[in-house]
Amino acid sequence: MDGETRVPICRDSDIILARQQGRALAAQLGFSSIDQTLIATAISEVARNILLYARQGEIILRPVSQSEKKGITVIARDEGPGIPDLTLALQNGYSTSNSLGLGLPGAKRLMDEFAIVSEVGKGTTVTMTKWTQ
Amino acid sequence: MGEPRHSSTTLALMQELALTEEEIARRKAFLEFHDEDVQRLQELGGLAQQYADEVIEDFYRHLLAFDESRRFFTDPAVLARVKAAQRDYFLRLTRGVYDGAYVEDRLRIGVAHERINLPVALYVGAYGFYLRAVLRRVQEAYQHRPAEVLPLFVSLLKVVFLDMGLAIETYLAQRERTIRLQQEAIRELSTPVLPLRERLLLLPLIGAIDAQRAQQLTAQLLHSIRAYRAKVVVMDITGVPAVDSAVANHFIQTVQAARLMGATVIVSGLSPEVAHTLVRIGVDLGMVHTVGTLQDGIEAAERLLGYTVQKLEPPMLVPHPEEGQ
Amino acid sequence: MRVPILRQGPYLIASIQAAVTDEDLLHLGQEVVERVGQYRSRGVILDVTVLDVMDSFAARTLRDLARAVRLRGAETVIVGIQPEVAFSMVRLGLSLEGVGTALDLEDGLALLDQHVRRRGKGGR
Repeated sequence: MDGETRVPICRDSDIILARQQGRALAAQLGFSSIDQTLIATAISEVARNILLYARQGEIILRPVSQSEKKGITVIARDEGPGIPDLTLALQNGYSTSNSLGLGLPGAKRLMDEFAIVSEVGKGTTVTMTKWTQ
Repeated sequence: MGEPRHSSTTLALMQELALTEEEIARRKAFLEFHDEDVQRLQELGGLAQQYADEVIEDFYRHLLAFDESRRFFTDPAVLARVKAAQRDYFLRLTRGVYDGAYVEDRLRIGVAHERINLPVALYVGAYGFYLRAVLRRVQEAYQHRPAEVLPLFVSLLKVVFLDMGLAIETYLAQRERTIRLQQEAIRELSTPVLPLRERLLLLPLIGAIDAQRAQQLTAQLLHSIRAYRAKVVVMDITGVPAVDSAVANHFIQTVQAARLMGATVIVSGLSPEVAHTLVRIGVDLGMVHTVGTLQDGIEAAERLLGYTVQKLEPPMLVPHPEEGQ
Repeated sequence: MRVPILRQGPYLIASIQAAVTDEDLLHLGQEVVERVGQYRSRGVILDVTVLDVMDSFAARTLRDLARAVRLRGAETVIVGIQPEVAFSMVRLGLSLEGVGTALDLEDGLALLDQHVRRRGKGGR
């Protein structure tokens, strides 16, 4: 297994870079073209979340395996203001920054596993994983 | 019992069975296979060298005495080669090194056995014979130190059980892989995409649909829309015995995705029972164009595409190639 | 990379590039709406054939664009959404309601022609 890739997110074009890298890694791990697109889209959503709410942060892409399953873990990390109410943030339609409000709940639907840790004033970390079938 | 070489199959198997250093250590711990066992096996190594040839001869005499095992050794050249490999295999039990390379070697043997369809019962039975043959010789060699026989033999048993675990898992993994490949083949065969007219596709679904097949069908349908430049797709589910809410939701998503591509999907063959079930479990098919029969579906599709079908009077006896264009 | 907007008869055609940023998309929205007025266009085609990801931001921007274009009396058709992209949009819950979609440029132009004919009959 190769090591992980880190993509710093501090401007628009970094979102594109992050999802391109994510798609490339997913392809390398043997994901179907539909799954590659789901992963790239989820990366796009969480990377934009970083830009919108924290202005900067990073996306970490990591190949993972569990017995015979292979997968990809995407970590979106920032040191922004944090999210006060996670339950609310994961509801459809919630948004404070004039986005569609689909960012986090949308990404959650595209991946198999999704976890979020956030501390007000410290930052937010989203960890999500998708497994090959 | 092939040539000792690195094979990609065994390396893939090591990964598939997740046989990392830690996992190998865990297996040894479960067998209570400790350093003193390694020492005892090494001690047994010298004796094993002495009885190796004899044991091999006994071993094959036994195997050749039964029809079910004899059939694997009809070729004398193969028999000679297999005997040599088997001798190495047994000697490695008492060589005192049980690391990743050892495990890989054992998996290789498992793969070879699976390939020739050697029944598991024969493998286990032959190992049993080997153990009895060795026990007799150890007892003879240690007749003046009988107390040492049992600990030696128990150490040998531990490593043999390590081997058997690996071999049987190899069998299972290979079988599972075969089943997986066959399932994929059946899936591909089971859903043809039929171009019915220009820009009209028919997708007759047959058989049970689980989440994985549903996703494959979606991919197939969406790619076919692009490949055939389809405007209308009739998805006929007459041959689908049951539709649960997960599959129904997948159909709804597929219909929506097709619309985003600019195509309309008509679902036909929804039996009254299936329709009833879907209503009861609360699936809203409001967004999906559904019709009762395949014929209704094709007629609806033709209307969408602007075709009108007219029956010719009197009916022609020989179908004309341009009929219905 | 800015998205080029071509004028073809009564229609505008914008072909979105693969690596289009959020800013480029927002800019495209403004530009299209301005030009629809400037050229009195009857329809807009957004060609997204090369787009390999359509996230919620892009979908919202295109939907808003189509709504603004309609307020100016023209129709928008999005063409070329790839199979994978379409599936991923549906999973995300993005359905582009109220926006026309077509397989490719040819179909998109035919769809716009239909709209224009219908409107003509309706006396507008």
